[in-house]
Amino acid sequence: MNQPERNSLRRHITRRGALRVLAGSGAAAAVALTAGCGSKDERTTLRWWSPQASPDQLKAYKAQIAAFEAANPTIRVVFEATSDEGYPAQFATAFAARQLPNLVTHLPSFAAQQYYAEGLLEPVDDVIKAIGIDRYFAGANEVYRTSDKHYCATGIGNTAADMLWYRKDLLAAAGITAPPATWDELRSAAQKMQRDGIYGAALPYGMNAMTSLIFIGFIHRAGGQVFSPDLQVAIDSQPTYDALAFFQSMREFCPTGASNFSWGESLTAFVSGSTATGIYSGRVLANVAAQNPAIADAIGCTTYPTMSRDIPAWTYNDFPCLLIPKGAPHLAETKAFAASLYQPQLYAQQMHAAPGHVLPVLRAVADDGFYRANPLITRYAAEVDLMTKAATAGHNLGQETAAHKPNLKANEIIASNAIAELVQRVVLNKENPKAAVAATAVRLAELMRA
Amino acid sequence: MPDAAAARPPGAGALERRDALLGMALIAPTILVLGAVIVYPLLSAIYLSFFSIYTPTLEGHFVGLANYRDLLGSGGFWSALVTTAIWTVGTLTLQILVGVGMALLLHQNILFRSLARGLVLFPYFLSTVVAVLVWRWLFNDLYGILNQMLMNAGIIAAPVNWLGAMPNAMLSIMVVGAWKFFPFVVIAVLARLQTIPESLYEAARIDGAGPVSRFFDVTLPQLRDVLTIVILLRTVWDFKEFDLIYLMTGGGPVNGTRTLPLIVYNQAFGLNQMGMAAAYAVSMMLVMLVFMLAYLRRANARSEADSAA
Amino acid sequence: MTTRRPNLLASLIAWPLVLIIAFPLAWMLLTSIKPAAELFTRTPQWLPRSITFEHYTRVLTETPFLQYFGNSMILAISTTVLVILVSVLGAYSLVRFRYRGRETLAALVLFTYLLPSVVLISPLYLMLVKVGLANTLASLVAAYMSFALPYALWLLRSFMAGIPEDLESAAMVDGASRMGAFVDVVLPQALPGIISTALFTFILAWNEYLYALVLVNSDEARPLTTGVMNMLISAFNIEWSLLMAASVMMSIPLVILFAFFQRYLTSSFGAGGVKG
Repeated sequence: MNQPERNSLRRHITRRGALRVLAGSGAAAAVALTAGCGSKDERTTLRWWSPQASPDQLKAYKAQIAAFEAANPTIRVVFEATSDEGYPAQFATAFAARQLPNLVTHLPSFAAQQYYAEGLLEPVDDVIKAIGIDRYFAGANEVYRTSDKHYCATGIGNTAADMLWYRKDLLAAAGITAPPATWDELRSAAQKMQRDGIYGAALPYGMNAMTSLIFIGFIHRAGGQVFSPDLQVAIDSQPTYDALAFFQSMREFCPTGASNFSWGESLTAFVSGSTATGIYSGRVLANVAAQNPAIADAIGCTTYPTMSRDIPAWTYNDFPCLLIPKGAPHLAETKAFAASLYQPQLYAQQMHAAPGHVLPVLRAVADDGFYRANPLITRYAAEVDLMTKAATAGHNLGQETAAHKPNLKANEIIASNAIAELVQRVVLNKENPKAAVAATAVRLAELMRA
Repeated sequence: MPDAAAARPPGAGALERRDALLGMALIAPTILVLGAVIVYPLLSAIYLSFFSIYTPTLEGHFVGLANYRDLLGSGGFWSALVTTAIWTVGTLTLQILVGVGMALLLHQNILFRSLARGLVLFPYFLSTVVAVLVWRWLFNDLYGILNQMLMNAGIIAAPVNWLGAMPNAMLSIMVVGAWKFFPFVVIAVLARLQTIPESLYEAARIDGAGPVSRFFDVTLPQLRDVLTIVILLRTVWDFKEFDLIYLMTGGGPVNGTRTLPLIVYNQAFGLNQMGMAAAYAVSMMLVMLVFMLAYLRRANARSEADSAA
Repeated sequence: MTTRRPNLLASLIAWPLVLIIAFPLAWMLLTSIKPAAELFTRTPQWLPRSITFEHYTRVLTETPFLQYFGNSMILAISTTVLVILVSVLGAYSLVRFRYRGRETLAALVLFTYLLPSVVLISPLYLMLVKVGLANTLASLVAAYMSFALPYALWLLRSFMAGIPEDLESAAMVDGASRMGAFVDVVLPQALPGIISTALFTFILAWNEYLYALVLVNSDEARPLTTGVMNMLISAFNIEWSLLMAASVMMSIPLVILFAFFQRYLTSSFGAGGVKG
């Protein structure tokens, strides 16, 4: 064999070799993918979804899972975080594909009602029975009652999501002695406290669920409603104009970026000390403790002011709940696991993971010494008690008042951002409020019909 | 388009037939994959657009052309189309101007040229998610460096609302889009610049052409082919951009930056109207198809006119 | 080559622009090593007063970042390998063989550029469910093929068209089979183009967001793009320092690839590739 030939042969071989490596790695990749990447577990797997997944909450969930797995060695529970603004999309595809989680927690009650009405949920009557309905606060499960006399979900907690958080030090510095109770007082307080780069308030003006959910509260705090008790569109009325006017008048006291605020931004603005008041749930307590302990002694909360003193407070409680999608496998195991989440000690620990944010639905736990011994709950006992009371009396678009029929379209109305758009049109685009509200009313009617 | 096969000598009958079989065998995997992940879903999308379908249950009924009628009748489609066009033209113009300019500079023998090239090209390789996060942090009204710098320099007195007001939001996403995608233009133009024969410049120089006229008389005509295709590709990609706008503004404020892809997504998974979403998607595709055919025809006509001249 | 001397004037114009373009990346890096307390001051400091890597350790230890990272790796590598295998053969077939429907196919490939991902997403999802792949990395690989394959085909096709056919003919005259000539002659010639196509494919797959958002809903198959957004931007916190640290770390593979393969980047466009 002469030299060039050998060279060409070697080149030949290496190139063939290279091709073989390429083909081989392709096959290997295919095998790895079809094998599903990872060893198969013999145990039954339950998938648990929740949008509430801060690191501390994850730890509490893991403790609950570990306890259940120890008692049921044949079952494995996998927790997966879903997105808070994005859950409707994730659920739509999960249902469409029948790729369902076994258990979902911390979705708002109106989502549960809608999914149940669409035939997508398993009633959870058994779970409630296993927990014991008299262990809940009285009537705590009424919001999950369905027209066919079942429960579409059960409460995993309560949240007073639109408390007025304020800074006592800044109020005092502005010469204000009592936290504001009406819109006029709030506006003037915000005006007095706004200086040196500190803004008066952290209201959301974004095109998102938070803005819709929060603004609905303002309509009620002006004495109005979005739908009448028999679910006719009732938004086109004076209270809505008043609420819009108030929202508009507050814009100058909110940070520039408020037109993109959702929950996270609004919360961070208050916690970081950039705004003198905030609108949020008890999550403020843990975040202040972790991120800005300097203001920990100066914060306090009250129910959000109403337009005038004769209008009662209205608190937005999303009624975070536990639901079971229909068609997911291992129903009995799922129900057993669901009930196990309410074992008092572990349940209290789950509440401790977000003290004051997710408030207990179990009466015994709320008064229990172990639950109350949490440092933050002890430190802010008055605030936690106030939030517990406000949340218990709270409502959301799924049932705006006790007199309302459940609104099965609430989930889609929020997802459509129709109400957030109304706020943006009037506040940011300075459109005529009456015309904008009228257009929104038409839109809501369409959504109800769809 | 260079067509090597057409240039082969005729008369290789049997071999050609055997080759044709081999050629089809080689293309088979491509056809299989494209059929499965593009053609079938595409036909399904067209099919779905004639139905009213509730996403989570996938139950629905035939509505014929009703989705299209609603869509064309509502102002939503047309205003989103205009928004999409504004975004596309705006960000593309920036991309081309910055891209060509930067390519010309980087073609020069500047100091630390390969480092400069690396830094300039990198945004293109960055995840849109990362790009959006970084820019949202720069734009942040309370802690963002951008407002801070502008205020320190005395250019603005109060923080600017970069993403929450119009036209700022549209301009902001155009800038971010340009920052993220102009390196594609740089890559393509730079590659072409390297193949322009030096003799052309020599000749121009002898004719007494200055740098500016050398650019317009020599460089630009040479770049025309590459710019034609780059503009086509980038137009199509910008037109269908979803991630950047969705993550940057979500379509707001109000619907100031709500482009067609965002509507499709919201219809399908926010409002759970899968059929309507499909109708939007199909209409959007038709718009792009019309644009592309018109563009190619015009580009071809121009290059034919040139070769005739 | 005009001159060996550095062009100082061009350098003076170019470098400030380069620095402006690179600034967001530098700011990301700086933010990620600042203590959180320095972040939320109303007068942001240029340089951190003290440097901390706690955000990196927190992302690595307290979040599923590494799991997402692994998923993204498997996903991007699998997509790249499969796309390259299919598209190298396909592109070769498109430029060197004659059969019925070839032109239509080439046009179809071009047409697929028009398709917005959102058009395909729902039917694709339903199809993947039917074949039992939903919610797996494999489903994302399949979905990513829908945009990566046409792109790779287009790049490789124009690249291969630039390879002179004489070399192949010569090899075949010497007795090589058609495929032998392909392996011995065409592949080595096309290697720079293949590498740059692989690079682009990897990057597309690594950075994809929309399909990952819709098609996958479990952490076991969630890639970095959606994973990072999901875990760090939530209703209860927006942790900018963690976000920046995660952003830096998810860009590291791209930096490495970029450093190694930068010289191949222009090659797929270089050989007249962009003529289409």
